[in-house]
Amino acid sequence: MDNNATKPRFWKSLNLLANKPESIESTRHEFRKGVTDDFDLNALPDKSRRKFLAVLGASAAFAATACTDYPDKGEIISYNKKPSGVIYGHANYYASSLNSGLGILIKTREGRPIKVDGNPQHPINQGKVDAIAQAAMLDLYDPGRVRYPVKKSDSNLLLHKDDMPKTDWERIDKDITEKLKAASQSGKEIAIVAHSVKSPSQEKLFNEFVLKYPTAKFYTYEVFGNQNKLNAWEKCYGNKNLSVIAWDKADVIIALECDFLGTEGITVEQIKKYTSRRDFDNAKSFNKLYTVEANYSLTGANSDYRLKLSPEYQYDFIMALINEIAVKKAQSAVNLDDSAMTKIRQYNLSDFASKFGLHADKLATMVDDILHHPTKTLVVCGNSLPEECHIAVNLLNEVLGSVSNVYSDKYEVLHRPTNTMADFAQLSAKMKSGNVGVLIHFDSNPAYHLPHEIGYTDALKNVETIVSMIHIENESSEGSHFILPVNHEFESWGDFMLRNGVLSTQQPVIAPIFDSRQKEAVLLNWMSEDYTKYNHDIYHQFMKAHWQEKVFPAANTFSSFDEFWYSCLHDGIFTWDELSIPRAIINVASISLTQNTLSKSGFTVILTKPHYLGDGQYANNGWLQEVPHPITKVVWDNCAMMSPATAKKLDVAYGLDKLDKISDMIDLTVNGKTLRLPIMPQPGIVDDVIAVDLGYGRTRGGEVGTGVGFDAYTLMNKSGNKIYTGASVAKAGESYELISSQEHHSLDEEFVKDFHYKRHIIQEYTVPFYVEFENKLEEAKSRLKNEFGDDREAYEKALKTEKTHLLGHHEYQSHSVYPDKEYPGVKWAMAIDMNKCTACNACVTACNVENNIPIVGKEECGKGREMHWMRIDTYFSGTPEEPITSVQPMLCQHCDNAPCENVCPVVATTHSPEGLNQMTYNRCVGTRYCANNCPYKVRRYNFFDFRNDFKDGYYRMDTLELLNNPEVTVRSRGVMEKCTFCTQRIEEARSAANIKGKKIQGSDVVTACQEACPSDAIMFGDMNDPNSKVSKLRNHSLGYHVLETIMVKPNVTYISRLRNTNMEDTHSGH
Amino acid sequence: MATDITHEVSVIEGKPTLKEIDATIIKPMDEMPNIKFYIAIGFTLTLLLIGVISLGMAFYRGLGLWGVNNPVGWGFAIINFVFWVGIGHAGTLISAILFLFRQKWRTGIARFAEGMTIFAVMTAGLFPLIHVGRPWLDGYLMPHPNQHNLWVNFTSPLLWDVFAVSTYFTVSFVFWYMGLVPDFATMRDRLKNSTIVSKVKKTIYSVLSLGWRFSNRHWSHYEMMYLVLAGFATPLVLSVHTIVSFDFAVSIVPGWHTTIFPPYFVAGAVFSGFAMVQNALIIIRKVFNMEHIVTLDTLEKMNKVIIVTGMMVGYAYGMEFFIAWYSGHEVESFAFLNRAFGPYTWAYWIMVSCNVIFPQFFWIKKLRRNIPFMFVVAVLVNVGMWFERFVITVTSLSRDYLPSSWAYYVPTIYDIGLLIGSFGFFFTLLLLFTRTMPVISIAEVKSVVAGSQPTRHKLGHHEEDEHNG
Repeated sequence: MDNNATKPRFWKSLNLLANKPESIESTRHEFRKGVTDDFDLNALPDKSRRKFLAVLGASAAFAATACTDYPDKGEIISYNKKPSGVIYGHANYYASSLNSGLGILIKTREGRPIKVDGNPQHPINQGKVDAIAQAAMLDLYDPGRVRYPVKKSDSNLLLHKDDMPKTDWERIDKDITEKLKAASQSGKEIAIVAHSVKSPSQEKLFNEFVLKYPTAKFYTYEVFGNQNKLNAWEKCYGNKNLSVIAWDKADVIIALECDFLGTEGITVEQIKKYTSRRDFDNAKSFNKLYTVEANYSLTGANSDYRLKLSPEYQYDFIMALINEIAVKKAQSAVNLDDSAMTKIRQYNLSDFASKFGLHADKLATMVDDILHHPTKTLVVCGNSLPEECHIAVNLLNEVLGSVSNVYSDKYEVLHRPTNTMADFAQLSAKMKSGNVGVLIHFDSNPAYHLPHEIGYTDALKNVETIVSMIHIENESSEGSHFILPVNHEFESWGDFMLRNGVLSTQQPVIAPIFDSRQKEAVLLNWMSEDYTKYNHDIYHQFMKAHWQEKVFPAANTFSSFDEFWYSCLHDGIFTWDELSIPRAIINVASISLTQNTLSKSGFTVILTKPHYLGDGQYANNGWLQEVPHPITKVVWDNCAMMSPATAKKLDVAYGLDKLDKISDMIDLTVNGKTLRLPIMPQPGIVDDVIAVDLGYGRTRGGEVGTGVGFDAYTLMNKSGNKIYTGASVAKAGESYELISSQEHHSLDEEFVKDFHYKRHIIQEYTVPFYVEFENKLEEAKSRLKNEFGDDREAYEKALKTEKTHLLGHHEYQSHSVYPDKEYPGVKWAMAIDMNKCTACNACVTACNVENNIPIVGKEECGKGREMHWMRIDTYFSGTPEEPITSVQPMLCQHCDNAPCENVCPVVATTHSPEGLNQMTYNRCVGTRYCANNCPYKVRRYNFFDFRNDFKDGYYRMDTLELLNNPEVTVRSRGVMEKCTFCTQRIEEARSAANIKGKKIQGSDVVTACQEACPSDAIMFGDMNDPNSKVSKLRNHSLGYHVLETIMVKPNVTYISRLRNTNMEDTHSGH
Repeated sequence: MATDITHEVSVIEGKPTLKEIDATIIKPMDEMPNIKFYIAIGFTLTLLLIGVISLGMAFYRGLGLWGVNNPVGWGFAIINFVFWVGIGHAGTLISAILFLFRQKWRTGIARFAEGMTIFAVMTAGLFPLIHVGRPWLDGYLMPHPNQHNLWVNFTSPLLWDVFAVSTYFTVSFVFWYMGLVPDFATMRDRLKNSTIVSKVKKTIYSVLSLGWRFSNRHWSHYEMMYLVLAGFATPLVLSVHTIVSFDFAVSIVPGWHTTIFPPYFVAGAVFSGFAMVQNALIIIRKVFNMEHIVTLDTLEKMNKVIIVTGMMVGYAYGMEFFIAWYSGHEVESFAFLNRAFGPYTWAYWIMVSCNVIFPQFFWIKKLRRNIPFMFVVAVLVNVGMWFERFVITVTSLSRDYLPSSWAYYVPTIYDIGLLIGSFGFFFTLLLLFTRTMPVISIAEVKSVVAGSQPTRHKLGHHEEDEHNG
């Protein structure tokens, strides 16, 4: 060995340097001779200091371990073998589809889906989904889902309880196939009740099922379908290929009792297209929305002009409009024959207007607009209106000649027409007479949805075998003999074709959480020769075969089917150019312009689609129950909405006069059936019209959904119509606690009127005003340029003054004793375009999902304790008869001078160097001072541990643990929380940029609300980047901050809404 | 005989001997409590128990049991805090400020008022600790070095509160205790080592009297120290409620953000403090037969203070409205109109009538010296002052900037339980005080007995001090 190598480079003594063995040995002992440094407890004497310390330390450690109450006692299991394609901590995205047929992108973390957004490649919803789809994540993990198949027993038991008798699938398959065969042989009907078919593979499956079991008959229904529209279309155009409306192409839209921005049709697409024509930088090309309606819908609230008309008169109104245009102004793109002309001549617009008190000025403006843009005017008619209205509207659009402009070349594919209520009445009769051997509820709930007059629920008792395929217990599963759990849409295979040439795929992103099966696979299995050979893949294979046969030929760019198939799954969508069927020319002569079938008598009742509960199937979703109704702001309930005048007439009131949230109840009698429900006076509703949301009052809708609200389906007669006249109303003399998330004041209360304008919360202008302003500003710019020459600073200052002056604002100077804080790097800011926000609440729900926001329940909402980080504020102005609605998304404004920050005694809320107002949950002791001092009232306090508190911890049960976004802390009781600008997404983008060796860019980050917004009203980014959209909007003439004068310097810029009304009709806040 | 204006009017009635004074004041400590005391303390302990249960429930389940909601983040807890801190003002004001101004009429009531101060501040001090969402982390409110690098935020008025209230408590406590030392010595000396009870008592009083021997030196140091402490406590009387008012004034909530708050709060605090002392004294002097020491004249003087401070408060109410209008700030003007005419109008007018209108009766001398009447008015003043804090806290928050976020605050039974409990806590301590310590300063009363002070008139005769003083 080389001596040098052992020579120490650093030495403590010369002896050591000389490598003397005893010195080397001595370095191995820390302590002096006689003291062992090989620690051996037993070797130590009894009264040793070290022994004492050792025992003390050990006891302390044991005590600490024994006392530990680490909240998460669950086992943490890491990947034993890492699945391919998964990186721990990284999200994977999969393209799939909702059962509604819209394309989605599901975000999964470590194999569990945690967030859903639209698939940007999908041509229909274009990367956006609505609030319901956002909240679908909760349905997937709903602990109330049926967990295993059950053969009849005491069906009053709650299904998720452990004491349900468990049956295995094989036994059930055996029993049911026997019953199916028996029914088939004895000629008894096998009735399968399903929702409308949107999937070609499902349609094929249904047809094949009938081949296997010839007595099988499929019944499909859709509570909020478009049967009337479709029938009218067929009568006008001779086919059932309903053309898709190109909402972005219409200059003038006239919506007749049609809530296309709220509840009707594919709202995300409609909102996106409609608002694409509301670009403030292109104010001259704004579209103009007129609504003519009785109920105050979201579309009505968003419209430029709203005319109030009871639905009975809609037909007359349309005909009068045709008369006005085609006859009086002699502008018609089609030839109307004499018989039609005679009919049309019976209706006179000015007579009509004076008779029904239509606002004359508004009507004149409307006619004027129609005459100016006849070929760009779209008239749409709500699904609830009777067929003759739709026929008349088709004729009106033809008369205007707008059809070729406002319809796209796509049409809606009808796989299987839905059955009429008469069909279901027949089915009921057959069931009653015992002619139905097996009844299968194919993920449907007819007992709840069908009009009670049909007697479906009673008839169920006479059916030998009832099979319910369900997610969560429902009214139809109540008397069933077999209850079969079905897969959630995120656990299923499927394909959907809503329009020609657009086929989207659905693929499972998680293995079935419970012992459930895909409903189609269950049918397939019963069709197979040997049901014991079931595997989870059978429907997948069935679908693939169908694609290979029918779809693959249309795809000519792929070498093999597999390549094609995986490409489709990857994209979630397959589109091809299918020759669109040329839309037939309307045959005016063949149109039988019948008489109006509705006649006015007594009260009119409109049964409306709830905004967030579908047809009631989402009742068990607490997130959706807690999203406030966009107009009334009522949560966890439906109610009878009526005009304040009607409420006064009926001597009923909602509690604000009494300073509590108590609402008087009424007995609403329609078709001889009475429903007792609370009222909500809603400005803008036509007098003597009562609107009630359907989808509430579930008697068996899961632990959360049962007993919420009032079941208005009971009011329907066997026609299944949504509009009824001749209703009577009586004050019930009873009251009910109805919770609205926002206190509304009656519009004639001078004390608090128009505060949103007076306080500069809402600023609005009209389009003509703004166009004029822009012209004047250009003038001013050139004038000031001459005046100041090169002095840029003075020019900017003078321009700002000029702008303020032109907008009619007060100029005020802001003084602060503190110097402004510098933000040298990125500074986060948001801009919200109020021209585009329709108050659809998709952002609110997306925020809930992204940020693990708890559900607090009705009672806590009543105390004003909802936890939403983002909310939509609604303000009314005008009169109770003609209200004007302004909506405003409100979230933490991340103020530069945040008033919440300086009052926190424990520094739990601070400002980041990037301008974020941060919350440090661990530091927060919960003094609530910050919330008091927040002028926007966006801070939310955990008054309880809401996850534990709501329904005995329902939303904390087993599966719900999987729901939470792992990037966001779940907040504990007593802690303040609020919007973070999705700081977890900022950090994710930052680390991605760091890996690439770049600095984070504003455009790298998309907040959850921004991602969800169907109209892209929300913009987020770096305001220090002069090229970013956000920084441009901050300095835009229309940009303003809410409560600007209190100098908190918010970082959310709102873009003033421009109403496309005449300048003199302005109600703006300038 | 011509009136001699230099002659001091005696602040106590009659000419009790020093021994009689000892006996009268120490009597409650000499005897076993009677049934009335047990009933009284049983009652206050029941109130306390209600409070403990209400608080325990809130600790167990969360503050959601209270009525606080989203715009109204502060409710009864903060109202009670401000109310009790206010009550705690009278004692130190009487003993320190009136001492500096040589107001001898204070002697009869000073000790008792000081005791009330201590207990009121103790009651008040509980609320900031329990009103937070996570009371187990209250330690975060105190600046202390720790490995988490946690520090407090010195810009937050809540932190100023922590210092203001704890300083006030400490100084008031020391002041009170120092005053008690000669009396403890008196009590020590009266006791004989005859029974075990008296031995124990003697031991306790010996320890508490810190070796006081009534020497001239002791007295001389004592007087100097008392003067210094009085000087020290005086600014605190003004500062503590000033700082409590900053909790509101420093915020940007309309109706809170006003510069008038500090003097207005101090005046209000003195107002309510005097009313509370008045209430308690009226009972004590009757129960313990001390009417000649706590005289009607003294009570009348207190009523004069009440009417003065009441009018200061009334002025503040008016000035708030004027400034709100004068500022031209819409939100601010609305906040005040809303107070008077909004949903909480009932609370506002309770406040105005109790605080401004009822005390006006004290202009009438007959009423001013009518004990049942002044008792009722003092109760009403306390009700009014509690409502003042309610009005300030709740009405401003319930309707601030964004009309979308307005909401009505309704207290729950847990809130009310806590309010009741705070009275139970306060009065329990007060009752224990009356049985364990002299509620009237023996030494000071002796100094105001006729003839105790040197005078050129030689009125009365000098009596030898039994205690070598």
